[in-house]
Amino acid sequence: MNEPARFHWAVWLGSIAALLVLLLPVVIVVLAGLTAGEYLTFPPQGLSLKWVIAFLQSATFLPAYLFSLVLATITMVIACIIGTMAAVYLTRTRFWGAKLMRGIFMTPIILPGLVLGLALYVFYVMTDLGLARSFAGLLIGHVLVTTPFVLATVSAALVGFDRSLEEAARSLGAGPLQAFRLVTLRIIAPAISAGAIFAFIISFGQFDLSLYLGTPNLTNLPYAMYISLRYKFEPTAAAAGIFAIALVVASMLLTARLVNLGKLVANTRLRW
Amino acid sequence: MLNKTDIRINRRTLLKGAAAATAVTTFNINHAWSKDVTWDGQRFDAGGATLRIAEWGGFWEETVRKYLLSDFEKQYNCKISWDSGFPWFPKFSAGGPKAPFCDIANWNLKDMYQTARAGDYYLPLDAVLPNIPQAAKLWDFAKVTGLGITWAYGRYTFGYRTDLIDEPIKAFKDFWRASLAGKRGTYVTVNELQMTLFLTACAIYGKDEFDLNAGYKAMKGLVPVKTSDFTGNMQALLERGEVVACNQWDGEMWAMQDRGVKVGQYIWEEQKPLLTQTRTISKYAEPMQKKLAFAFMNRSLDPKVFGNFAEFFYLRPTCSNIEITPKMAAKGITNTADSTKGFWIPDYQKYLDSADEVEETVNAIFAA
Repeated sequence: MNEPARFHWAVWLGSIAALLVLLLPVVIVVLAGLTAGEYLTFPPQGLSLKWVIAFLQSATFLPAYLFSLVLATITMVIACIIGTMAAVYLTRTRFWGAKLMRGIFMTPIILPGLVLGLALYVFYVMTDLGLARSFAGLLIGHVLVTTPFVLATVSAALVGFDRSLEEAARSLGAGPLQAFRLVTLRIIAPAISAGAIFAFIISFGQFDLSLYLGTPNLTNLPYAMYISLRYKFEPTAAAAGIFAIALVVASMLLTARLVNLGKLVANTRLRW
Repeated sequence: MLNKTDIRINRRTLLKGAAAATAVTTFNINHAWSKDVTWDGQRFDAGGATLRIAEWGGFWEETVRKYLLSDFEKQYNCKISWDSGFPWFPKFSAGGPKAPFCDIANWNLKDMYQTARAGDYYLPLDAVLPNIPQAAKLWDFAKVTGLGITWAYGRYTFGYRTDLIDEPIKAFKDFWRASLAGKRGTYVTVNELQMTLFLTACAIYGKDEFDLNAGYKAMKGLVPVKTSDFTGNMQALLERGEVVACNQWDGEMWAMQDRGVKVGQYIWEEQKPLLTQTRTISKYAEPMQKKLAFAFMNRSLDPKVFGNFAEFFYLRPTCSNIEITPKMAAKGITNTADSTKGFWIPDYQKYLDSADEVEETVNAIFAA
């Protein structure tokens, strides 16, 4: 049995410091959203649920939250499909331009979001495809910036993937798609789910693109928070942040749970 | 496959060609006609057309929806598409003048002039005014831009914390008081409130609003000064006491008083610049949208509609026949020829000529 690893005290100190830096902003947002004061300040001036209630009753924030939720969910599904397909192709092909293709796929996360948003907007307007200021146009933008994350995580899982497992399934009579679905997909499922979480979180918090591609009458949460902070600076934005944090945590827990469930199902079948 | 030689001119192809040419001409005539669209002030059925408005979001949008949009949609059988994705300039320039992204835009003045410089985007005001009955009641200052109708405004002020300041601000130059060093706040140079403070300082400390050297000297006199991006953030700085006095507009200060924050204000009297809400109509909007835009502009200047909306923001009216609501009157707001005397909307058209130099220089001064 392996002994538990022992770390130098400096590593512990560094880890705790990093954890604090990561968690403190979250704590500040939560406390600012629970303030009894009139402005978004820290430390809070007393504790109250009034801004949480204001968020739930808001004609701006709640629809924006739900819109972001729907947009991020659809984005996540599409990005997972495209990202996984691209990863499988790019890790297995001998095509000379594969590296270039991977680079092109990664471009949207290298470009500043504002530049990409404006470029897409101009492209939509010039091509006159009806995508400018439409939900479809916004969705395409979100898929563009989230797909690279799925591509990266799934590619990492596929690099060390033992192709003989797939070949064994084929030799036992499975078709290529069946072998992919029953063997490959199950093995790379954790990577896909990690990519899905990234895609969801990035889409949910996407601001830059939405500034140009945002649809009339439909405002996403980051933009609604920006407007609120710009003109009113009231803590409803922080209360919205509490719900956003809760959603991200819930999605991570749910995904982790689903992945484990998948493994459980796989193990059960194997025992049969 | 069809070769060029297969195309033969006969009666049928000529008729088809004529029909196509007529269709194309009719389409283009729409735009040519649109400048001649008129509206007589009577309600009409827009047949479900969509009027695209670019204006501020959040609580502003909620309030406009409540007091204006819902009824307007019902009465004119139209839909309002509300775009709050500011800035508008890149969206206008992406499509060019003949494909505007919206039919009506509400502006900060510098951006409005900047867009006007980039192309033929707005219906000239002399083509707008005859189509808006209520525009006959506009004060002159509401038409001074020549590009859009200023439909509401606030006045510039120095807000201060009554419990933290050594003595109240009673004159424009009091903001430069030594005791406020490090305790006063203004905005980043691209914010219109800072631009107006600069131009006003030019006028008060120099020979006119474009005496830039006088303005630079005045800005140096403000340092150390805290800068904020937006008015909302400035409210928070003032409420927390991080700044004791700041550059603001009067409506924000009254709103803070209503929330129980101990603040007072000095509304500038030496020069009277206005923080305006100005709407333009896109020159190449479709005819029905243009007609709806006239009706919408007229509705937003309607005394009843304006009163309900303006009270929430302490916005002042620009039409002489709008009565001040009791809540606003209690703050000392009046709407008479006397009370609007001396109002000044800075010449942002001219400001744009030296905007880069001013912003660079003032940034360097504030950074120091």
